[in-house]
Amino acid sequence: MSDTPMTRRDWLLSDQPASRNQARLGQFYRTWLAFRSNTLAMVGLVIIGVLVLTAILAPLIAPYDPLIGGDLRTERLLSPSLSHLMGTDEQARDIFSRLVWGSQITLVVVALVAVIATPLGILVGTVAGYFGGWVDTVLMRVTDIFLAFPRLVLALAFVAALGPGIQNAIIAIAITSWPPYARLARAETLTIRESDFINAARLQGASSARIIWGHVVPLCTSSIIIRVTLDMAGIILTAAGLGFLGLGAQPPQPEWGAMIASGRRFLIDQWWVATMPGLAIFVVSLGFNFLGDGLRDVLDPKGDR
Amino acid sequence: MGLLDVINLDVIFGEAPQQVHAVKGVSFSVREGESYGIVGESGSGKSTVLRAICGLAPVSGGAIELGGREVVSPRGRDFYKTVQMVFQDPYASLHPRHTIDRVLAEPLAIQGFDNREERIERALSDVGLGPGFRFRFPHQLSGGQRQRVAVARALILEPKVLLLDEPTSALDASIQAEVLNLLDRLRAERGLTYVMVSHDLAVVAHMCDRLLVMQHGRAVEELTRDALRARTATTDYTRQLLAASEGYKPAEPK
Repeated sequence: MSDTPMTRRDWLLSDQPASRNQARLGQFYRTWLAFRSNTLAMVGLVIIGVLVLTAILAPLIAPYDPLIGGDLRTERLLSPSLSHLMGTDEQARDIFSRLVWGSQITLVVVALVAVIATPLGILVGTVAGYFGGWVDTVLMRVTDIFLAFPRLVLALAFVAALGPGIQNAIIAIAITSWPPYARLARAETLTIRESDFINAARLQGASSARIIWGHVVPLCTSSIIIRVTLDMAGIILTAAGLGFLGLGAQPPQPEWGAMIASGRRFLIDQWWVATMPGLAIFVVSLGFNFLGDGLRDVLDPKGDR
Repeated sequence: MGLLDVINLDVIFGEAPQQVHAVKGVSFSVREGESYGIVGESGSGKSTVLRAICGLAPVSGGAIELGGREVVSPRGRDFYKTVQMVFQDPYASLHPRHTIDRVLAEPLAIQGFDNREERIERALSDVGLGPGFRFRFPHQLSGGQRQRVAVARALILEPKVLLLDEPTSALDASIQAEVLNLLDRLRAERGLTYVMVSHDLAVVAHMCDRLLVMQHGRAVEELTRDALRARTATTDYTRQLLAASEGYKPAEPK
């Protein structure tokens, strides 16, 4: 490299990147700088970071077993104290430990729904928008059909067909959550498909698949990522709702929604049993919303870049 | 018969009730190594002719022949090795998320060229951009630099024919001259054939050996550069266009 001392920051922000990776990292770093200046977004990121760490380190953090409770005669429904930070539930299980282990379930639900629904939505939306005509009509009517499914009813149908469980709840949520992404991706595609840089790619002899994957998708992803992040809160709430109805995670799994459901019988006298998982859902949903808002400020292609 | 022949070309957009007949029976022939201009006011169909040649607009009637053979729709991959285009607006013709490197590498990958690294470096230096530009994003370039990248992208496939759709109209005057000189030099070096659309008669007079005047989708008349300079137009419309190109003149006192 050059003789002049160069900090890592200078290298990242260089106007004349010397390699593909430097250009990519530099772009990433600029985005990060913009993101970092957004306080709420950072709060969201910290919350999600804590959630991820908690899920990974659950065996180390949780002081008690989440499934097997203590002495049913003396340790049921204890109020929050130093030995039980959030109290115990009706089976003498430590609520804090259950919340910590439950974060794994929440994270798995969120991650799987994002991994299933996002690519599906992007694929359907960009293909429909790019080709137009009858392809567009067929794909968008299919999307409409899926949009018409009520989530909880579909989940009910899945549970009836496949048996209750968190996997079936995830499938049901994923199947009902991709249509908005498809519509968004289609709208973005329509605005760029006749632009000159797409025409230029056509004039190089690029195939439709190459144009969609290499040129259209990168411009759709940022708005989709924003949308997915903002929807995360809804996904968590739906999963919790399914758990609450007894259609999602099954006892004794420490799923937050199911924990609220079992705690509602004691809501008046032992408020902590239902309130603690409720607070967890609230905080994590809020975190995702902050994060999504911050990402929108940074990634929105209609911004200054 | 030339390298590129446009024979009685019709371009019609849309279906019957809202149909737009953008180009009506236009014919011209471009010889190899020639620079051919198409001029006309906005909406005269001059850009549409270019777009029809490269397959971005439908050929509704007539034919386009390249080297004596009629081109098919959709164009084959080989067609684009012979014919390339530079777009009007350099701010819209480069992908905002692709580095210059990727912009130049992609056509090579599509067409299966070898020695890609060398070709990219040479393409950049040919248009007067140093290697420092290679990994920049378009938003780190000025308009003139972007247009140079667009020219490099078009020429990296080593085409014979370059279609230029008002390549300088989005640039300011000093940059215009720079890009025009670049285009002139590249044509001389590589024996390229240009078809250039412009509404600027001065640019066309500078660049083109012959030119076609279009109005309302029809060809009005064909002029040579000498005829243009001598102002020996035969039709009223061309004379008006020539007068208009001289710019604003204060009304003569009566």
